Formats: sequence, C-alpha cells, structure tokens
Amino acid sequence: MADAKTAIMDQKLNEHCFERCVPKPGSSLSSGESTCYTACMEKYMAAWNTVSRQYLGHVQKGVGSAGGGF
Amino acid sequence: MDQLSVSPETAESLKNLSQKDKQELNQFIQNEGQKAQIQATVHSLTDTCFRKCITSKISSGKLDRSEEPCMQNCVDRYMDANLTVIRHLEQMRHS
Repeated sequence: MADAKTAIMDQKLNEHCFERCVPKPGSSLSSGESTCYTACMEKYMAAWNTVSRQYLGHVQKGVGSAGGGF
Repeated sequence: MDQLSVSPETAESLKNLSQKDKQELNQFIQNEGQKAQIQATVHSLTDTCFRKCITSKISSGKLDRSEEPCMQNCVDRYMDANLTVIRHLEQMRHS
C-alpha cells in the first residue's frame, strides 16, 4: 500500500534530515544526531501535512488545478 | 493512449465490460491519476518550502509559530507565481 508515496517520503526525509542533523559524519550516529533525526522526521511530516492541506484548498477553489507539477 | 500491459484474460474481460462499466473504469483511472499528480505536487512543494522555512536548529518535531505560517505562505506564493508564469506564457502565445 502507498509504496510510491512511502518511497518518496523516505528519500526526502533522508535527504533533508541527513543534511540538517549530520553535518559532519563521525564513526557512528551520535545520540544527539539520533534525537535530531527523530525531530526532523516528525517536523518534515508535519510540514507535508500543512502543505497538503494548503494546496488542496487551492485545488478545491479551482486555482491551478493542473498543479504545475512535473 | 499508452498500451496497457495486461494478461490476455484481463484484456478479454475488459472487452466484455458494459459501456457503463467502461465509463466508470475510465473515470476511476482518471481520478487516480489526478490524485497521483496532486500527491507529487505536495511532495515537491514540501521539499521546496521546508528548505525555505525550516532554517533554524531542529529541536522539536512540531512546526513552531513562525514555521507553520511560513509553510502556508510558501504554498500560497508558489500558486501566485505559478499563475504569473501561466499568464506570461499565454501572453507570449497570443503575441
């Protein structure tokens, strides 16, 4: 179920959170980095939900129904 | 239209669908495509807006008081900008 969505989410989460939480990779993931990762993932998903709500509002109003994705 | 890769059995039973069922199936496929398109846009917008709005140190899993409105504004302004691009392209086509 929702494999494509999960795959993209996984990729994006890692992309953003690795960049933000592991600026200088050490010999292992420190506890600080792990904590940051957890917060970062939650934040990113919260951001996804906010964007989804906001964008759907536009789509429902009929503005830019094509979305301009691609 | 793209050629669907389905088994001969599936192809045969598709042929046997009533006109009404065919229409319903078509509608379903169109809706799913639109959902996929919307989801793709949400993914790309989240990516872009996260970069712009979440700039301070990440210490909490929630969006803070400035991040939430920033994400919302980011989506709204993206839509404005998108509209500007569409208008501009239309103008170019007509001149």
